[in-house]
Amino acid sequence: MFLALKEIKKEKLRSGLIIFMIVLIGYLIFILTSLALGLAQQNTDAINGWQAQRIVLNADANTDMRQSFLTQKQVGKLSNKEALLGETSVVAKAKGQKQQSAVFLGLKSSQFIYKNLKLTAGRNVQKGNEVVVDTAFKNAGYKLGDKLQLNDYKDKFTIVGFTDKAKLNIAPVVYGRLSSWSALRGIKAGPVGSAVISQSKTYKNTNAGVKTYTKQQVINKLPGYSAQNATFILMIGFLMVISLIIIAVFLYILTMQKLPNYAVLRAQGIPSKVLVGATVSQSLLLVLSGLVLATVLTIATAAVMPSAVPMAFDIPALAEVGLGLLVMALLGSLIPIKSVLSVDPVSVIGG
Amino acid sequence: MKNSFSVSHVSQVFGTGTARVEALHDVSFEADAGSLSLIMGPSGSGKSTFLTIAGGLLTPTSGSVEVNGVKYTERSKKQRDALRLDAIGFVLQAYHLLPYLTVADQFKLVDRVKPNGNLSKEQLDEVLATLGIQNLVHKYPGELSGGQQQRVAIARALYPDPAIILADEPTAALDSARVEVVGALLKDLAIKRNKAVVVVTHDTRLIPFADHLYNMQDGWLREAEAVVS
Repeated sequence: MFLALKEIKKEKLRSGLIIFMIVLIGYLIFILTSLALGLAQQNTDAINGWQAQRIVLNADANTDMRQSFLTQKQVGKLSNKEALLGETSVVAKAKGQKQQSAVFLGLKSSQFIYKNLKLTAGRNVQKGNEVVVDTAFKNAGYKLGDKLQLNDYKDKFTIVGFTDKAKLNIAPVVYGRLSSWSALRGIKAGPVGSAVISQSKTYKNTNAGVKTYTKQQVINKLPGYSAQNATFILMIGFLMVISLIIIAVFLYILTMQKLPNYAVLRAQGIPSKVLVGATVSQSLLLVLSGLVLATVLTIATAAVMPSAVPMAFDIPALAEVGLGLLVMALLGSLIPIKSVLSVDPVSVIGG
Repeated sequence: MKNSFSVSHVSQVFGTGTARVEALHDVSFEADAGSLSLIMGPSGSGKSTFLTIAGGLLTPTSGSVEVNGVKYTERSKKQRDALRLDAIGFVLQAYHLLPYLTVADQFKLVDRVKPNGNLSKEQLDEVLATLGIQNLVHKYPGELSGGQQQRVAIARALYPDPAIILADEPTAALDSARVEVVGALLKDLAIKRNKAVVVVTHDTRLIPFADHLYNMQDGWLREAEAVVS
């Protein structure tokens, strides 16, 4: 640590440039991670909000709630830990407001999703022509009492409440009655809903034509969800590898320049572990300094970022990414360490 | 404790077959505390190989090296490192001071590795004053001349207060006045601080300070007759 601190202090420009690059990479990784988390949350907020453990869909629906229809026979008998819902995509519009693409979820007032709905304003749905909508509508200028036209359905729906973190597959959710879902889909007989949501891990529907999935299985099949996550993971992974290469190359160059000095120290009996310790400390100090500055920049970004931008600044997740960069720093110091260990003190004798 | 250093029947062979070179032939040598031994010889005579083996950096093909009764050649690499740090002060021609450490920090580094048994502040100040570098302690090596850096390297080698001092061309970068100073300092270390000082050099200006003078020729070490005490 002593040698590392002294070198960083003396070689301010050189160290500053490395730190600057780590800051840029760290900042980019933090922003991408926040964006990935934000988008992932907007895909799954509603499902997570229900505390769903198992989801029953039509076996032929390709694990897609929108494509699933369940008959009363398939739904069977439900306990208080299960809820039936109907899902359909809608375009919502109101007088004087912009159109909003949304997901309509029909609920039964006797079941837990309806009962557990946390409202930020207004009240819960009590009639068939009432809806509770995600705060994205509020942010877009919609107010309580606004009359919503959903698709080309003849009747209008009144917004009676707002709820937070109610997004499914990026789209804001419009909660209404299950009967309204049937009406919106034009169903007169047959299907009674799209899915059964269960809060129990042991729940399994064994009726014919249905399949019980875990929450994660359904989430992974949300359109674009897995591809989007894989893209972000790939980008973050590449940035990690780039940071590893930068650290390794810089440290290697710095170490190569110091090998004659190290050879003299080795000749004088300074143990290799001191020199290895200096290399590792230097790597960790540079990356840690870069990460601290990147964190400050990320906090500043979070403070000014509009709420419409789907970013989630999740501290544990960002800490994990930071830890990943520190591991990269350790790995990056392995090649220079190999050079330090191979220093031959004999090389400085004679001349 | 009496500081002593001996090399017994050391031979060193490099390479095999037609590339075989015998760098040292059955070299035996002793240096006692309080004496300054000068080993002179032309380039390629085996002086550097001798110093490398004497300092425990190379294990000889045959023979042994003993420092204060401890057989260097029977120790592990790690133990030789520790012994070198503790008992041998290397003054090298290639001084290579760490560029990001001030003169004062060069000594602090030794303190961190070997916290005890180093020169006291007063003793260090005395060495620095003798070498004429007492006002340079806050300077970085890049701010010093070659001669000044060489003197800092000498002070750094002396700082752990080693029993034996092995010097490789310690006056190569110094003018005659500084040669006198360094020669007197090495002699002073031998007499007043009871060290065994061994200097490998081309520099005949150091001969007046030697108690024993040796010639190295084609790997053979012979004590020379002419010594000025």
